[in-house]
Amino acid sequence: MSETTEKPVWTKPLPDMRPEGDPFWAGTKEHKLLLPADAAGKPFWYPRANVPGTLEPTQWIESKGEGTVYTYSTHFIGPSKAYKGDPPHIVALVDLDEGVRMMTNIVCDEEGFPSVDPETVSIGMRVRVVFHDATDEITLPKFTPVD
Amino acid sequence: MGESTPDVREARRMLAKGIVIAGVGETEQGVLPGRGSFDLLAEATKLTLDDAGVTLADVDGMVTAFSFVEHTLMHATTFADYLGMAPGYFASVAVGGATAPLMAVQAAMAIDAGLAEVVLCVRGDNTRSGISSSGMIAMAREMSHGAYEAPYGLTTIGGYGLLAQRYMYEHNVPQEALAAVVATQSEHAALKWNAMLRDAVTIDDVMADRWIATPFHAMDCSLVSDGACAFLVTTAARAKGMKSKPVFIAGIGEGYSHQYISSATSVDGVRQGLGRAGRRAMEVAGIGPQDLDVVEIYDSFSFTPLIALEGFGICGPGEAGDWVMEGNGKLGGALPMNTHGGLIRQAHLGAMHHIVEATLQLRGEADDTGKGGGNHQVPDAKLALTNGSGGILAATSALVLSSDAPSA
Repeated sequence: MSETTEKPVWTKPLPDMRPEGDPFWAGTKEHKLLLPADAAGKPFWYPRANVPGTLEPTQWIESKGEGTVYTYSTHFIGPSKAYKGDPPHIVALVDLDEGVRMMTNIVCDEEGFPSVDPETVSIGMRVRVVFHDATDEITLPKFTPVD
Repeated sequence: MGESTPDVREARRMLAKGIVIAGVGETEQGVLPGRGSFDLLAEATKLTLDDAGVTLADVDGMVTAFSFVEHTLMHATTFADYLGMAPGYFASVAVGGATAPLMAVQAAMAIDAGLAEVVLCVRGDNTRSGISSSGMIAMAREMSHGAYEAPYGLTTIGGYGLLAQRYMYEHNVPQEALAAVVATQSEHAALKWNAMLRDAVTIDDVMADRWIATPFHAMDCSLVSDGACAFLVTTAARAKGMKSKPVFIAGIGEGYSHQYISSATSVDGVRQGLGRAGRRAMEVAGIGPQDLDVVEIYDSFSFTPLIALEGFGICGPGEAGDWVMEGNGKLGGALPMNTHGGLIRQAHLGAMHHIVEATLQLRGEADDTGKGGGNHQVPDAKLALTNGSGGILAATSALVLSSDAPSA
């Protein structure tokens, strides 16, 4: 294996895996953003085995991966030692155009997906999904500003 | 009291029996190495029993919370064993910061149901000195969804930050409004004998402090502390034979809008959800915000009291920042808030200290001059509203406390 294809060891939090989230993580691994939805195709967030409210079985739709920043908080301290020495990271809630709000990071669309400069982030800014392959198994959807 | 719904009438029926807080106790707070979790609980218990002038043999109900250090699925009965007692009623309440008012409600319901007559409500922990590093990470992650929030490096502070930044954006609230909450409460903590931070700080001091997660500087955040606190709930009839002036539980209420911050629908949805707790507690008590003399409002962060003051109808939407900056929440102001310094200046035991402080205010005993503090008594305080919120403003419980018996 050449050096360029080796991913750095991931020391930051990884998602707790639950069976009802498997279709979502299978999607991100293929760089697709799948959303849980009701029978009419109306999405909800976060993935559950049943549609909240009606408890009907969950269906899945594919998101176009575009949305708007609803709010954000620039984190100068992370939740574990793995963040020590990092520049601040931006945790945001993004309203996808399909009508659901999900948590993410606002990052640059480049190698390693580093955080954007906090000064450039604002509520209401347009963003699009990028796929950060954290490990061989887990790909985290993150968002980057639309030029 | 005018028209009311059957559930409100039922709450009034229960409280018209005369459910009182007959004793309170609080240990030293801060960094207390060498003190254990149950050891602190036992000290708060002794202080509270002494304040009421009773002994452990008089206690027949035990309501506790949880510990970040002593992990047990049976907290109340584990602590009863530690004390060497056998309560006839026991419950461990675990709804984060909403726990303390809910402990009072549990005690009131147990008394109403005839399960107990004298109920000890006690919470404490050596969180500051006793927690492991993995425990600290678990605590930081506690309020995040494990799959869809935690991988983005969300902290509890940042979770509140997400809501606070949206609130400030929608209502054009300046950073100074958050700092004014800290400055106000720091003046009060300077007078509280066991407050961890006794120095008064200014808005400028807070604004110049280091960032933790926007919009919060370090001083905008609650403390992590060791200590314990308790209160004794019984009937007015039983309290007649006790030592201290009883304070009546006149209103109770709960409110909920979401668990994960990603599930919060809007700023107003959160405001109305948590606000229901205080509005309902006041409705049960048959009072409105204009009747209150003092408020002890949950203050996990400087932003937290602002949205609660609005949700409870004390201020209009987006107006709490101006209200605090105008000095209304200070001692001597229109409605003094967090007269003990709160979670951001005194210590963090959920809303326990808020209940104890409200009780002392209504007893007219909030002058700590003899204990190395100062006088933070609100003159002639008769009605207090207090609340606690668990999660990121997710679940809220509120009490109205009164120096006088509620009318049926």
